[in-house]
Amino acid sequence: MALKNKVMAYLLSKYVDFLTQRVTFYKSRTSLYADFEVEHLKDIDDAANRKIELRIAKNARLYATADYEASDKKEVFEGTSKLQIAAYQKKLRMRYRIEREKARRAIAKLTEEDKSGEQIKLIDQNLASFEASLAEELEAYKAKRHIAFEKSLERDLSKAKPTAQELEALKSRLTADNETYTAAVNAKREAKRAKFVRSNKARIAKLEGKLNNFQAKLKVQLERIQQDSYALPEGVILRAENLCMFFGGVKAVNDLTFDVKQGEIFGLIGPNGAGKTTVFNCITQFNKPTSGHLYLRNRLDEVVNLNKLAVHNVILQGIVRTFQNLEVVKEVSVLDNLLIAAHRQYQSNFFVHMLHLPILRLEEKVIRARADKILAFMGLSLYRDWYAWGLPYGVLKKIEIARTLMADPHLIILDEPAAGLNDSETVELANLIRRIRDEYKCTILLVEHDMGLVMDVCDNILAISFGKKLAQGSAKEIQSNKDVQAAYLGAPEEVER
Amino acid sequence: MNNRFKNEYLAHASPRPESGWKAHAKRIMSNPLGQFGLLGLLLAITQLLNIAGIVPRSIMTTIAFVSIYSIAAIGFCLLLGYSGLASLGTAGFMGLGIYLCYYGLQEWQISILPAFLIAGIASIVIGFVVGFVSLRIEGIYLAIMTLALSEIIVKLLKTIKGSTLIIRGVNLNFFGIPLSNNAVYFTIIVVLVMLLVGTANLINSPTGRAMVAMKSSVAAAQAMGISLLKYRLLAFIISTLFAGIAGFFYHAYLPGISPTTATILTLSMSLNILGAVIIGGAKSLWGTLVGTFVIYGFQSIFLQNIAFFNENPAFMMMVTGVLIILVVMFYPGGFAQMLFTLRLWLKKMTKKWRIYRYGIEE
Repeated sequence: MALKNKVMAYLLSKYVDFLTQRVTFYKSRTSLYADFEVEHLKDIDDAANRKIELRIAKNARLYATADYEASDKKEVFEGTSKLQIAAYQKKLRMRYRIEREKARRAIAKLTEEDKSGEQIKLIDQNLASFEASLAEELEAYKAKRHIAFEKSLERDLSKAKPTAQELEALKSRLTADNETYTAAVNAKREAKRAKFVRSNKARIAKLEGKLNNFQAKLKVQLERIQQDSYALPEGVILRAENLCMFFGGVKAVNDLTFDVKQGEIFGLIGPNGAGKTTVFNCITQFNKPTSGHLYLRNRLDEVVNLNKLAVHNVILQGIVRTFQNLEVVKEVSVLDNLLIAAHRQYQSNFFVHMLHLPILRLEEKVIRARADKILAFMGLSLYRDWYAWGLPYGVLKKIEIARTLMADPHLIILDEPAAGLNDSETVELANLIRRIRDEYKCTILLVEHDMGLVMDVCDNILAISFGKKLAQGSAKEIQSNKDVQAAYLGAPEEVER
Repeated sequence: MNNRFKNEYLAHASPRPESGWKAHAKRIMSNPLGQFGLLGLLLAITQLLNIAGIVPRSIMTTIAFVSIYSIAAIGFCLLLGYSGLASLGTAGFMGLGIYLCYYGLQEWQISILPAFLIAGIASIVIGFVVGFVSLRIEGIYLAIMTLALSEIIVKLLKTIKGSTLIIRGVNLNFFGIPLSNNAVYFTIIVVLVMLLVGTANLINSPTGRAMVAMKSSVAAAQAMGISLLKYRLLAFIISTLFAGIAGFFYHAYLPGISPTTATILTLSMSLNILGAVIIGGAKSLWGTLVGTFVIYGFQSIFLQNIAFFNENPAFMMMVTGVLIILVVMFYPGGFAQMLFTLRLWLKKMTKKWRIYRYGIEE
């Protein structure tokens, strides 16, 4: 009996997982098609504009042909001759340069051998005579052109020249043609846009229907299982309760309890070896805590028990992190690094990837557009297609932060973001952190040793030492706390000296 | 009327937009289907020339075997170059394909398609096992474990059936149609092109990027939502599946002719495939194809025509060995790196020659 209940509970949890996965899938697809709409409308506009441009160019060429026939050919000839003669002059110049180089090399050889100026003068004379011969060639070319032009004028005398009225008529006809064509293309474009928007909306509506269906089912099932949900107080986004992480005998984190409020910048300070990075590893489930609770209030305002998540599912709740020793993938380009960060936003499976089906192209387009926006935000657009291999440290740091933004963050964890930056760069970083918090409406946790940055940027600071909490509070409170001064900051008298 | 001066004027006054053939060629070449499709077309034409009598039988056999080994090498390229996982078990996985082909066609007398499916499914199962093993063990120890697994598989198969596998009688048939040797060759080409295109697509997709992330930094990959189990399993399954397919076609190509099929299934075959991928360039598919040709086809097609090598056949192996050593010493990125360096060198030399000939313009 107990076995049957256990099996039923297990199957139910698997069904709930399936429903949740379907809900995420359909949500992601609706937002994908919503974003795709913008991109595709741009594409339709581009294609239409290209068509119009081609038509206008074609008509311009027709008009130019007639214009030439009607014009005073001599004037036109002078104009184009200038350009053609310049091109011919360039060719002659190249031949001159070849001779000049030969002369230079001969002189270089000679100046070793004989010091008399005779040989050198001979070579210079040869070069000058070559230059003269090239000038003659140019004159011959000009003369030939003139003769050929006169001949062609004689041939053309028999043809009828179009009059000014004919030209005007042609121009008006072509302009009218341009306008009708533009109107036609624009009409088609509007029709295409309308059709696409309609079909897209229909598609989104269908997907939303399925989404609501699955959400309803999920709600029903969630009411059936007794979920012991923890109640987080309003405004608190992350709570660690009695967090302990022991590596064998080493107590890296020893009974730590703290709250992080929504939308604040939370700093974690302490001497080296205090367990700061271990705390972050526990939050992101890279190390499973030995004991203690971790609760997160996610984007949907649900309370999630982080210890139940696998390490590769933590990003789905909106927790993203950077690493102390930048873990940027050096083998691929900067853009690819951001696309790797967006990995969980691709809902297509392995077979779609192997066959490059159209849905993958859609997803790629939308996610690449988003990546470009983030690169522009961070100021990395120049490095978009460069391999991350040889880039400077500051740029790699920015890539690391851009990666966290790519995953639509709810809680960003920065592990020593100011390591290796000088004072001015640290000030820039502080501004960047505030900008990110304001624009992406997320909470930021950071570990830092640079007290200037911490006191400047953090709203709430937690000081730990040897895995234990020393104090928590605002910058002023931490600075004046005796325990923190003793363990880490140093007492005021020492600073003055 | 072709008026030169009118054309000159129009060229300046109203320039025409670019015309097409170069752009079209570029589009075909940049698309994996285009590139590998052309390769497949070339190979198919070679077979047609053989049927017409121009290309001799021996060259066809070499090309067929190079294609077969390429199939295994591509899977290995994905595993080593993109997922960073070492595996020396290619011989065992190919052996599985060979023996299942024999069993399917001779012992159980089923037609070729079900036998192919059985070989595929068996390879996937073995790939699953190796994938799970790879979570616990890394680097060279994983290679040793895969070597052990492959030796176990080969020994098991030899004990059950022995080393001599000959398919007697014409029972290569596809839904009743008897298949000749040429038909099998065309099937091999089609499968090779399909797998090449699939792998190229995979590399430029989120899956490929996830594998590279997994290879580069395990912590970052996990933090970005990439499940190590899933992608390691995928890498190993693809690699063993490709090796199994290669083994299947190895036996289907010459079913009644090689009595000692199973004696080739040793560590040296795995190392040959590894060598082929490395000298081609671990991250380059074209490089893998060239590397496989160098190791398996170079001797038969080029060296055997030189009289010196005909008399002393041992020197042929030496040449291949020396080539591998040189490539690994000076161009560890393989032929792909060599090509890249060559292009850079050509650019530099062109620039130098220009300065030599034309001088520097002040």
